[in-house]
Amino acid sequence: MQERAVREYADSDGRYGRVDTQYAEFDGITLETGFFLGPLTVAYETYGTLSPTRDNAVLILHALSGDAHVAGTDETGRLGWWDAMVGPGKGIDTNKYFVVCSNCLGGCKGTTGPRSIDPSTGMPYGPSFPRISIGDMVNVQAMLVKHLGIERLHNVIGGSMGGMQALEWAVSHPDAIRSAIVIAATARLSPQGIAFNWVGRNAIYSDPARVCGPADENSATRRPGRGLAVARMIGHITYLSEETMEVKFGRKLKLKDMNGYRYSLGENGTEGGEFEVESYLEHQGSSFMQRFDEDSYVIITKAIDLFDMEGTYGGLRNAFGKISAKVLVLSFNSDWLYPTAMSLDIVRALQAEKKDVSFVELDLPYGHDSFLVNAGMPYLTRIVRGYLNGVR
Amino acid sequence: MDDIKTPFHEFQIGFNVISDLITPGTRVLDLGCGTGTLLQKLRDEKDVEGCGVELDQEKVIRCIERGIRVMGLDLDEGLIGFPDLSYEYVILSRTLQQLMNPERVVREMLRVGSKSIITFPNYGHWKIVLRYMITGRTPVCETHPDPWYKTPDVHRLTISDFREFIRKLGAKIEKEIHIIDNVPVKDALLANRRAEWGCCLISAT
Repeated sequence: MQERAVREYADSDGRYGRVDTQYAEFDGITLETGFFLGPLTVAYETYGTLSPTRDNAVLILHALSGDAHVAGTDETGRLGWWDAMVGPGKGIDTNKYFVVCSNCLGGCKGTTGPRSIDPSTGMPYGPSFPRISIGDMVNVQAMLVKHLGIERLHNVIGGSMGGMQALEWAVSHPDAIRSAIVIAATARLSPQGIAFNWVGRNAIYSDPARVCGPADENSATRRPGRGLAVARMIGHITYLSEETMEVKFGRKLKLKDMNGYRYSLGENGTEGGEFEVESYLEHQGSSFMQRFDEDSYVIITKAIDLFDMEGTYGGLRNAFGKISAKVLVLSFNSDWLYPTAMSLDIVRALQAEKKDVSFVELDLPYGHDSFLVNAGMPYLTRIVRGYLNGVR
Repeated sequence: MDDIKTPFHEFQIGFNVISDLITPGTRVLDLGCGTGTLLQKLRDEKDVEGCGVELDQEKVIRCIERGIRVMGLDLDEGLIGFPDLSYEYVILSRTLQQLMNPERVVREMLRVGSKSIITFPNYGHWKIVLRYMITGRTPVCETHPDPWYKTPDVHRLTISDFREFIRKLGAKIEKEIHIIDNVPVKDALLANRRAEWGCCLISAT
């Protein structure tokens, strides 16, 4: 009896298992700037089975640093970035839905980006990768979806930059989706958001290790310098709430035998950081250096900065007029980077256009990153599962 | 006092009264919609296109789980963003007495809906009045089940109060239904003294 209970738990809340990234090849895409970018590769993963009527597909849209590996384990055993949400019996149930997640355009996890070879030079694009927009990222996703034989998605869902993309899907591909879930997002990045991104990019630009000018053969193998780590640290401060930092780190010190905080300079006039919060940021920064590309960081944050549906369409109501999808807007009361007021701007413009919009502000203390924190997953799971279930 | 019947707490009767006032196939906004029970009933039985407004997070999540469209908003802030006359009916069921600013909310209802339906417990019932007179203390009864110091029902209004309130707003009561001993009665005689609950269909004149 006990054994059976354990198995049922595993079945209803289990992991997806091993998933491999696949690659779709296209001739290229004309960007919103008019520039033709080609050839184009899109890295993606799929989970579950597409129904015979092809009506059960859910497209997941990752945030700034994410990739196609959303759930299950990859060949190294690494868990997907939203494994808590996606899998058999989970919020996005892979027994029910055909789930697709792709790396965004300009990324560094398999989709064409600064590390890809520029056919005109035979060298990686590096810093000369063309300027892209959130709309371009979505157009590439739409090419992939079509390539997979899906005419209409049951749902698109994403948080932060992924939420911007979900909104962009609803606006620019209205007939291709039945519903969208827009989490911790905004229809236009705030000046505060632009400012943080600018400081992050400046950390990269100021890095002596950064390769300037045209890319050379070394840029394919070179690793980004500390500038990217600093950019990531700034980012992480904005993703957390003050309360989370207080609870998670407080004023705790890294070394327990230290008698209070003593500022000490290291060998090069730097310091290792004595507080746990410093140690956390250092870890986030240096591990990001290992797994991300600084030119991707520049290109993608620039695309986020430029995202402004209000400016592009002359007002949000104009932007939303053509939306036919049901939209669920979710915000977190502790998110100060993309605060609830920004979600409400989206909601009110949708209401004014008499669209089918639902809105929930979740009371979770984890800041902008709340949608990725396991402790908030029970609430998020019920909402996402319930909403997907209610879409006809 | 405990023998006062509370039909609106036995959801069905109160919901039936509201449901009977609603034309099938219309758009309905339910303010303080709770877990979406009424909207689900209206969707299933009357084919209405419903939307709820609810502040409590757990109740909002329950609405979404039921496939009910819902806005997690504070009613006391008004209905910002809801376009004029965008619903055929706006419902405020068992919530009026709990609002910080009932006047603002009802004005908003009249703006957003062609017609509004408001139900509320009647503090003018003879048993409540009698108890108040005899004991000199704020009565606790089934329509007002919590003591004054820990109740969400911050306003204690009577059917007569409500009539005057609607008149002052320049609006019109089109229909009055009173719940007396669990039975809905249209335009009951001496309703202010006999009814436990009032249910009114109102519109802007």
